[in-house]
Amino acid sequence: MEKVIGIDLGTTNSCVAIVENGVPTVIPNRGGYKTTPSMVAITEAGKRLVGHIAKRQAITNAENTVYAAKRLIGRKWNSPQVKNSVATSSYRISQGPHNDVRIVLRDKEYSVPEVSAMVLQEMKLIAEDYLGEPAHKAVITVPAYFNDNQRQATKDAGEIAGLDVIRIINEPTAAALSYGFGKNVEKMVAVYDFGGGTFDISILEIGSSGVFKVIATAGDTFLGGEDVDARVIDWLVQGFRDEHGIDLRQDRMALQRLKDAAEKAKCELSSVRETEINLPFIISSGRNEALHLQRTIDRKTLEDLSSDLIERTVDICRQTLSDARLDKDEIQEVILVGGMTRMPKIQLAVAEFFEREPCKGVHPDESVALGAGIQGSALIDDKHEMVLLDVTPHALGIMTQGGFFEELIPQNTTVPTHRTKIFTTSRDNQTAVKIVVMQGENERAEANELLGEFILTGLRRAAKGSVEIEVTFEINADGIVSVHAKDLETAKEQSIEVTASSGLTRDEIKDMLDNAKDYMVERRTTEEFEAAKQEAEKLVGEIERLLPQVEQIVAASDFGRDAIEKARSIVAKARQAVARRDAAAVKAEIEGLSRTHRMFKGVVAKTP
Amino acid sequence: MIDKPSPKKRKSKAPGGANEENDRPTVNPPFDVEAFARAATAMPVSGDALKTTHPPPPALPDGEPRSQQTTITNEVELEAARARSAQAPEPAAGRLPSGLLAIANLRSPSAVPPNAGSSTSPPAGTSPSPSNIEAAVLGAIQGSTSAPEITERTIEDPIAEMRERASLGDYTGALEMAELILAADPGSLEAAECAENCRSVLENMYAARLGPSSGVPVVAVPQAQMQWLSIDHRAGFVLSLIDGFSTLEMIIDVSGMQKLDALRILHALVQQRIVAFKA
Repeated sequence: MEKVIGIDLGTTNSCVAIVENGVPTVIPNRGGYKTTPSMVAITEAGKRLVGHIAKRQAITNAENTVYAAKRLIGRKWNSPQVKNSVATSSYRISQGPHNDVRIVLRDKEYSVPEVSAMVLQEMKLIAEDYLGEPAHKAVITVPAYFNDNQRQATKDAGEIAGLDVIRIINEPTAAALSYGFGKNVEKMVAVYDFGGGTFDISILEIGSSGVFKVIATAGDTFLGGEDVDARVIDWLVQGFRDEHGIDLRQDRMALQRLKDAAEKAKCELSSVRETEINLPFIISSGRNEALHLQRTIDRKTLEDLSSDLIERTVDICRQTLSDARLDKDEIQEVILVGGMTRMPKIQLAVAEFFEREPCKGVHPDESVALGAGIQGSALIDDKHEMVLLDVTPHALGIMTQGGFFEELIPQNTTVPTHRTKIFTTSRDNQTAVKIVVMQGENERAEANELLGEFILTGLRRAAKGSVEIEVTFEINADGIVSVHAKDLETAKEQSIEVTASSGLTRDEIKDMLDNAKDYMVERRTTEEFEAAKQEAEKLVGEIERLLPQVEQIVAASDFGRDAIEKARSIVAKARQAVARRDAAAVKAEIEGLSRTHRMFKGVVAKTP
Repeated sequence: MIDKPSPKKRKSKAPGGANEENDRPTVNPPFDVEAFARAATAMPVSGDALKTTHPPPPALPDGEPRSQQTTITNEVELEAARARSAQAPEPAAGRLPSGLLAIANLRSPSAVPPNAGSSTSPPAGTSPSPSNIEAAVLGAIQGSTSAPEITERTIEDPIAEMRERASLGDYTGALEMAELILAADPGSLEAAECAENCRSVLENMYAARLGPSSGVPVVAVPQAQMQWLSIDHRAGFVLSLIDGFSTLEMIIDVSGMQKLDALRILHALVQQRIVAFKA
C-alpha cells in the first residue's frame, strides 16, 4: 500500500513524517536533522539552495533568500500582512498579474506557491530517500486561521511539487492528533504553538470516537523565535559597540555569524544556565586589526531580553479564551508546540497562565508533522475510525448597504454547516441586488477577504425594504462554500459556488509543475554525476598511489607491461568523462577502474 | 624575493626555455589550465605517476618552503609569491618596483593574502616597510616629488595593460585592471570579457588546487589557538563555515562571496595549514 507522507510546512522550519508499522515517525533529512528550514535561495551562480544550506547564507545573500513565504501564501497584494512583509523582508516582493504576490530572486519572478513548492519538493525528496520509493500522496498542515485561498494556495504548492495533497489539516488539530494517538482521551486542550516565525493558540475539543474539533484559534503571524534571536543580536551588537565603537550590523558576514550564534545560544540556554558566544575574527578594525567577539550570556539575560515577547503570547491566550467564552479551568491539557516552547521561562509563563503544568508528552518540533502523518495513514487505512471535524477559520457573510459586513456563518463554526438570513432592498424600485460574499471578522467589508459576487435580478419594483431576499450560505465537508439568494415573493433564485483560488491560473500551475519536474530531473542527474565522479576520483587516486609500486614490480618481470598502458588509458578515459560531465560514461569507466584497482592491489599484496 | 623583469624583457623571450623559467614570474599556459592544475595537484612526488597529455609542471611538495622556489609556474604560485613579498621586510635599496605592472601588482587588492585587509595598510602583525617610510620622510624633508607614491600612480593605457597581463598569464593582475576599467566605463565589452575569462581561469586554478568540490574541509587548528591566527574577518567568516560536514562546494555556496573570493580565501587557509581536507 502506498504510504502517505505528512508534512508540516512551517513558516521557519518544515518537517515530514510517516506512519511505519503503526508507529508515527519523523524522517530526518540528509544532514540528520529532523526539521528543515523553510528557506529557499538562489546563488550568484544561479544554483537553488533549499533548507539548512539556504539558511546558512541567508544574511550574506539576503536579497536572494526567501524565508517565511508562508506569511505571503494565498494573500492578495494589498493585504496588510503583505504590506508588512514588503516593509520588513530583505528579498523583493512584487505585485503579480492577478493581484497576487510574487517574489523576485536574481531578476526572476516566482509565485509564492512556487517558492513553497521548492520546500515541499525538498520534503518529498527526504521522504523518498528514506522510503526508497516515490512518495506522491501527502497531508499538509496549515494554521487554523488560514482562509480558503491560503489553503488552496498550499494545495497548489503541493501540486507544483509533484504531490497529490489528499487533505489539508489544521496545525493544532495535527498536534492534538499526535497527542491523542493511541490514547482514548476526551478532553478540551489548548495548543500553544510558539515557532520560529509565528505564534498561534488554539483550543480544541478531543471528543469520543476520535473526533477533533477546533473551538477557537488566534495568533500573531509576526511573532516568533526569530524575534528572540533579534534581541540577542541587539545585545551582542550593543556590547561590541560599547567595547570597540564598531557597529557589527554594517557587515553582512558578521551579522550572519551573529544570527547563527544568537540562535545557538538561545537553544543552549534551554538546557544550561549560561553559555559562551565565541566569534573570532568577527570584523576588522580601521587599523586592519582582526577583532574577536567573546561574551557569556546567561539564562536570566535571555529571559529579560524576551520577557515582553512572552507576555504578548500570554495576552493572546487570554484574549482567545475570552473570545471563546472559556474559563481557564475548562482547559484540561496544554500542549506545547514549536521550538520556542523549550524555553523554561515560556513553560513557566504557560503554566502560570493556564494554572496547570503543560503536557510534555509531545515533541514540540515534530508533533504537527506526526499528526499529519497519522491523518494520512488514517485516510488510506479503513481500519482507523478517526473523524476530523474542522471549523470555519473565519466568519462568512455578505456586504450590505454602507460597506458593512453582515456575518452569516460565525468564525469557528463546525463544518459542514448552513445558515440563512433575510435581507431587504435598500433603494426604492430596486430590481437587482449584488451579493458580495466575504470572509473575515471586521465589520467594515473592505477589511475582509472577497470570495466572490453575483447579481440577483428581476426583483419586483417596490419601496425600499419591502422586497425580501433570503440568502443561504452552505459549506460542505470539502470546505466548498455555496451561496444562494432567493426572492421570497417570486421564488427567483441565483447562486454562486465559491472556489478558493491561490491567485494562479491552471496554465500557470501547469507551467510551474513542468519547471519543477525539469529541475528535479536536472538535480537527480547532477547528483548521479557527482556520486559517480566521487567514486571515479577515489579509484583514480588509489590507482595513482599504487602505480609506482606496480611499475617497479612489472619492470622486474617480463609480464604485465601492457597492463600499465591499459590502466593509463582507463584513467585517462575516466578523466575525460568527468571533464565532459557525462554521468553514464563515468559510470561505465568505474567498472574498469575498479578492475584495475583490484588488480593493482593484488599485484602489490602478492609481491614481498 | 622575486625580481620581476619588465614586461618588455619578458615579451622578448620565448616561453618554454628551461633557463628562462627562472626569469619568468608568469607563463601564458598554452594548454587547458584546469587540467594542468589538476595534474599538478594530483602528481605524486616520485614523478613516476601517470603521464598527462600536457607538459608536467615542476613538482612542488607541500612541505617545501616556497621561498626556495625560483620558478613561478602559475597564477596560484604567483599569488603565494605576492603574499610573501607583501610580508617581506622591504625591497632592496634602489630596487623599488619601477614598472607600471609591478606597481599595480603591489596595489592589487585581489592579490592580498587573507591576513591583510587592504593593500595600502600593512598586514596584521607586520610592520610597514621601513624603506618606504624612510623614503617618504626624506621626500617630505627635501620637498622632493620622488617619494614613492605606490597607491597614487596611474596607468596610462589600462586596456593595453590588461591585455598584456592576460597574455602573460597574470590573470589576477588582468582581472584587477579589467575591474578598474569597468569601474570607470561599465560598458567596456573587452574589459568585461577579459574579467570573465580571468575569473574563470582563476576559479579553475584554485578549484584544482583545492581538490574535488565534494571534499570536506576541516579546521586544523585547535579552537583555543584560533584567535592567535593571522587572518582577517573575511577568512574568519569562511573559517566559521567549516563545520567538518559541509563540502567545499557547500561552503562556497553559503559564503555569499564571489566564487573566486571564496576559493582564494580557502586556498590561502589551506596554504597556511589552518584548514585541511578530510582524508
